[in-house]
Amino acid sequence: MLGYAMKRLLQSLFTLLIVITIVFLLMRMMPEEGYFGDGYEKLDEEQREAILTSMGLRDPLHKQLLNFYKQILRGDLGKSIIYRPKVSIGEILKTKIPYSLKFGLAAMAVSIVVGIPLGIGMSLSKDSVLDKLGTIYIVLINAVPAAVYYLFLQIYITGRFNLPILYSEHRPLSWVLPTISMSLGGIASYAMWMRRYMIDEINKDYVKLARAKGMRNRNIMMSHVLRNAFVPMAQYLPSAILFTIAGSIYVESLYSIPGMGGLLVDAIQRQDNTLVQALVLIYSSIGILGLFLGDIFMAILDPRIKLSKKEGAR
Amino acid sequence: MTKRNIILSVDNLVIKFQLRGKVLTAIRGASLDLYEGESLAIVGESGSGKSVFTKSFMGLLDKNGWIDSGSIIYGGNDLAKYNRERDWLNIRGKEIAMIFQEPMTSLNPLKSIGKQVKESIQLHQNLKGKAAKEEAIKILRDVGIDNPEKRYNQYPHEFSGGMRQRVVIAIAVGCKPNILICDEPTTALDVTIQAQILDLLKTLKKKYSLTTIYITHDLGVVANVADRVAVMYGGDIIEIGKSEEIFYNPKHPYTWALLSSLPQLGKKGEALYSIKGTPPNLFHDIKGDPFAPRNPKALKIDFIKKPPYFHVSPTHKVKSWLLDPRAPKVKPPKSLKLLRYKIGDDLDEK
Repeated sequence: MLGYAMKRLLQSLFTLLIVITIVFLLMRMMPEEGYFGDGYEKLDEEQREAILTSMGLRDPLHKQLLNFYKQILRGDLGKSIIYRPKVSIGEILKTKIPYSLKFGLAAMAVSIVVGIPLGIGMSLSKDSVLDKLGTIYIVLINAVPAAVYYLFLQIYITGRFNLPILYSEHRPLSWVLPTISMSLGGIASYAMWMRRYMIDEINKDYVKLARAKGMRNRNIMMSHVLRNAFVPMAQYLPSAILFTIAGSIYVESLYSIPGMGGLLVDAIQRQDNTLVQALVLIYSSIGILGLFLGDIFMAILDPRIKLSKKEGAR
Repeated sequence: MTKRNIILSVDNLVIKFQLRGKVLTAIRGASLDLYEGESLAIVGESGSGKSVFTKSFMGLLDKNGWIDSGSIIYGGNDLAKYNRERDWLNIRGKEIAMIFQEPMTSLNPLKSIGKQVKESIQLHQNLKGKAAKEEAIKILRDVGIDNPEKRYNQYPHEFSGGMRQRVVIAIAVGCKPNILICDEPTTALDVTIQAQILDLLKTLKKKYSLTTIYITHDLGVVANVADRVAVMYGGDIIEIGKSEEIFYNPKHPYTWALLSSLPQLGKKGEALYSIKGTPPNLFHDIKGDPFAPRNPKALKIDFIKKPPYFHVSPTHKVKSWLLDPRAPKVKPPKSLKLLRYKIGDDLDEK
């Protein structure tokens, strides 16, 4: 187990190194305007060169790369250039992440608490009314563009129940709809996958044997099926939790929540090179970390994993 | 065979399934008396209903299947009338246990095999905690698993197919059942392991005084383990008798055909015998003898009227009009005479 974790950790670190390098190289291919901010038009060629040199962007590439690694190791993400000029990116994120995290985690909690029991219920009463209603819900949520039901909720439900239309930090009632909006999709996907994995497990031979040895159906579900059905779900849980910090573009802009949602799009549109670079780095590191934690989580739950990985041809 | 107690008595059982909007009759009035302590083999080709027949003794029919009529008497109760899980929990494992043909998938991959064996002991033997664990280790040793203390904590993927089947057997035997149903216990295993598993089952049968039912289409297995053989075709038992009677004096044309297709009877360089045609369509009513359409020597009456049981000896009965005094004398295929030499050893060994 420990060996597997170490191996997986080294793999992740290596992937991260590659990602950092690629991000660096890509950013160096971006138009250089992105380093100047609003005053770009007024500067002449010489001034521009001077600024770029002072930022270290005229050093040889390998030296720039080395400096970039060092900077990252210090945890320094650089300063924003256009979005909020001269403010360190860490500072910008510090004000925004809590909002996204708060709503993301709340929505995720709702999704899990509602979605997983729904999926279990659907699988246990296959083809019943519950199963059919659940399936209709899942299909609707997946087929209808999210913007449609987000807008519907905002316009119709706020009017009907007299809820505030926009987010405000001091009115907890205004937190309700964004959370619900964000969890609708989560509920659908947790229910769908849970149902699917449960049905997969219920039809396996070991359930037949458990029944033949005289176990109660309820106990078979609790001690055999449920746990086994959880394993494939567990893999994606860490990523899902981590990515809540990225926020939801739609919901945050609909309710004007000052979260992370639109930040990346904004930064790209306004050519804030350092901010884009930092965000891309953060999101891809989260991806790598999420997969790593997911794999470790799986290995704890599924004893087969250590062996099959070790025997693999890698 | 000396007169023994009947432990399970099935009478005129009819089992139906709802399939794609149509009703399929899988078992058509089968009757069977199972004697305490005996070893019965049920043979027949795929789709003859042998699995469904025995699953109905434990209430393990698939959800779309049901017992339409007939009775299954065990311990003074009619199991055919059971329809609540609570009723079946008193039978499953405790009275009748079953092992399946898929040792590779019959165990939960995420639970240590010890826990899985312990589960069945806790359910049926009133043991808890350490005592249950000790009993589990003892049973694992009984089924021939070396170093059971260490193996107890291992997971199914650390076991070979044969070893997994031993664990499955341990789970079944751990319930301390009276009847053990083995549904093709060796089909998925290679030949040397097959022999070991059959030996193990024979040993356990003695040690735990089990009554065993083997479901198989491997007649070699039958000769090796069975006291009596029941031949199923089209959802009914068309011939039943002691192993010697079925192998040396078969009476039903289907039994002839089945025995003729034993590879042991094949001649080098010649194609093996195979039964022409396909088993009857279970969605339809079967008129007369179900095997008649595939039987080149079928009599007219075979297509019209279902034959009753004719007794060949007190232990041997056959559903075939050939046994009627008015029927023409039809001789079994000559090649069957060779059976005595080919598998006689297996039969005599018992």
